[in-house]
Amino acid sequence: MDFKFGEKEESLREEVREFAKRELGSRVVISGLEEESSDDDWAFSMLMSKKLAQKGWLTMAWPKEYGGQGASYFEQHVYIDEASYWGIPGTTMGVSGIGWVGQSLMLFGNEEQKSKYIPLIAAGEPDGVWCTAYSEPNAGSDFANIQTRAVKSGDVYILNGQKIWTSCAHRARWCWLAVRTDPSAGKKQKGISLMILDMTSPGITIKPIYNYAGLHIFNELFFDNVRVPAINLVGKENEGWYYLMQSLAFERHSIAPQFYGNARRILEYLIEYARTTRYKGKVLATDPIIRHKLAESAIHLETLKMFGYEITWKMSKGIIPVYEAARNKAYCDFVIERLATTGTEIIGIYSQVDIKSRWVKIMGSITRLYMMFPGLSIAGGTDEVQKNIIGQFKLGLPRAY
Amino acid sequence: MDFDYTEQQNMLKTMAMDFLSRECPKVRVRELEKTEIGYDPEVWAKMVELGWQGLIIPEQYGGMGAEFLDLIVLMEEMGRNIFPSPFFSTIGLCTIPLIKYGNKRQKSNYLPLIASGKNIWALAIIERSGFLHPAEIKCEAVYDGDDYIINGEKWFSQYAHVADWLIVICRTGLEEDDITAFIVSNGTRNIKIDRIPTIAGEGYCRVRFKGVKVSPQNILGRLSRGWKVVEYLTEYATVLKCAEVAGACRAVLDMTGNYAKERIQFEKPIGSFMAVQHKLVDMLIEVEGLQYLVYQAAWLLSTKGSADLYTAIAKAKADEVYQRVCIDGIKIHGAIGFTMDHDIGCYFRRVKGAEFVLGDREMRLDKIARNMKLE
Repeated sequence: MDFKFGEKEESLREEVREFAKRELGSRVVISGLEEESSDDDWAFSMLMSKKLAQKGWLTMAWPKEYGGQGASYFEQHVYIDEASYWGIPGTTMGVSGIGWVGQSLMLFGNEEQKSKYIPLIAAGEPDGVWCTAYSEPNAGSDFANIQTRAVKSGDVYILNGQKIWTSCAHRARWCWLAVRTDPSAGKKQKGISLMILDMTSPGITIKPIYNYAGLHIFNELFFDNVRVPAINLVGKENEGWYYLMQSLAFERHSIAPQFYGNARRILEYLIEYARTTRYKGKVLATDPIIRHKLAESAIHLETLKMFGYEITWKMSKGIIPVYEAARNKAYCDFVIERLATTGTEIIGIYSQVDIKSRWVKIMGSITRLYMMFPGLSIAGGTDEVQKNIIGQFKLGLPRAY
Repeated sequence: MDFDYTEQQNMLKTMAMDFLSRECPKVRVRELEKTEIGYDPEVWAKMVELGWQGLIIPEQYGGMGAEFLDLIVLMEEMGRNIFPSPFFSTIGLCTIPLIKYGNKRQKSNYLPLIASGKNIWALAIIERSGFLHPAEIKCEAVYDGDDYIINGEKWFSQYAHVADWLIVICRTGLEEDDITAFIVSNGTRNIKIDRIPTIAGEGYCRVRFKGVKVSPQNILGRLSRGWKVVEYLTEYATVLKCAEVAGACRAVLDMTGNYAKERIQFEKPIGSFMAVQHKLVDMLIEVEGLQYLVYQAAWLLSTKGSADLYTAIAKAKADEVYQRVCIDGIKIHGAIGFTMDHDIGCYFRRVKGAEFVLGDREMRLDKIARNMKLE
């Protein structure tokens, strides 16, 4: 038993910390999915992506031939944790490219696709920005129920249909797209194909969907006879479901360190707030109720940290995590919900102040988290979906749906 | 980074699993709850053959000189079986501080007899108030020129009624922390012991001292510095208790998962219903989380010698999770889970005993808060 990182990881953490301090300064940083909303934030995030690529961090776990560093899972874990702690924007470039497209192409793409698309992602180029279009109005949790059609006609596919909740579509150069190519395949998991869609193609309409916080993160996509070159098919036709399942695995180990890094920063803000805010003639930090709330948050964060370590350790031993990823996602959702609600209780009436207002407390971190956590818990699969996976694959219980 | 036990630790785990399920089935657990002594001396003797009592005692004192993490393995398995014995009391609460604070003479007098299973020890610290804090220690030891004379009473001293020796935490001065730990022979007439009837019959006792004479040679650690001994043993014993709880939680999860697969209602196993399945998943997540927190605290303690924050985090989690999995486990079992015949109730009866060993939730949360620099 051993729960520490090696010297290599610790010095990497130190480097990331210095990078963040130097590059971000006292700027109010908008990172994560929110960086996609405003043009200014997006521009800054792309600037950071480029710098992260130059540092060799952006896609550090990828093999050198694809623009990575061949870094270990442990190094990657520490990088993600520390970058999330500081909220460095641009670490995901709209999530998809770095999250799963690159690695999926390495496994299932042909040589042309690999050499055309992967280096752009690894270099942090605007042309390396991807979105992913899986969800449809009637394919949410039941996401094998994809209806968007691609019909082959000569050397192109003709695309018709609608996608929804597509994050980053308004920023992306390419789209990682799941479509139905064989409606008569019987089981709905069959007959799905994966393809690469050029977002500048004629016939694509992008309609923004604003979230209740007023941010433009996701979109509706409409396809009206869009022509997709047949060479843009990934792997074999009608075997997309298998690739999809594999590609979901790639983001697994990063969920916990990403949420943990962010949450530990916010907890530090809350501690600082409690130490500097006075109530009834004393600092808030002496109040037993406040202390206990913060202690409870620390217990949750510590548990999340261990879940993150566990999955990274398992992957380092060549074990492909299945239920562990679902567990970490479900637990992340729990932790940030509790941290957000606890945080609002602690900063009280100020928790409603707009994050851009000069009166906002602790840089708007709590308000932002409070506005974002319900959406984050749905993105990438709801709590219920995660728990169905765990029930089936870990506890060996019969399908519950 | 490594979440695995060593090969040796895995062997110990398998051995403990086999031994405990063979020697102490749940029928026996229920019987022992009702007996006067509350444990099985024959099994205790067999444990000596396996070397358990002497596991962490240095070899020069007749033990095996194993590391603290090995003891964690054993406690986890004892917890899984809710094995009734004075093991935690003798080893966790008394042997650990004896090894650290005992002088040469004390160690060579007492440790070999623990390793050979001949002596049982109990800690007498909590008093009538039930709180763990130096200010609550009223039982006093007064020096009469030759000896210390102990007067007062101790409550919830586990297995004191069968112990050969007691470690008694006494007040030796007016300052709040002027407290001393004494090693007291438990045979004398001036010590009166009553069992406190508890819901799991885990051998809790009230111990009354009336003019009990103790030689200054029997001070454990230094005079007036007894609270240091308490803090030290609290840290280690708390992590051991956490491991025991983690094992127990695992058992509850396993039995509930199995039941959900077997029990048919509406022509289906009840585990196929989402309401039941998700409850089981929540149990699993909590139990795994607890286990990792316990491992982390144990590892830190055995490598760094201190893990104050992580011990408190693990124990606060343990208390919450043990209660949660028992309650949800019983609910999933339905009415059968509410019977004396079903094992799950044996676990539920032990939740509060485990929770209030050496402190309570408020105390632990406050310890976490202090470590977060919330001053």
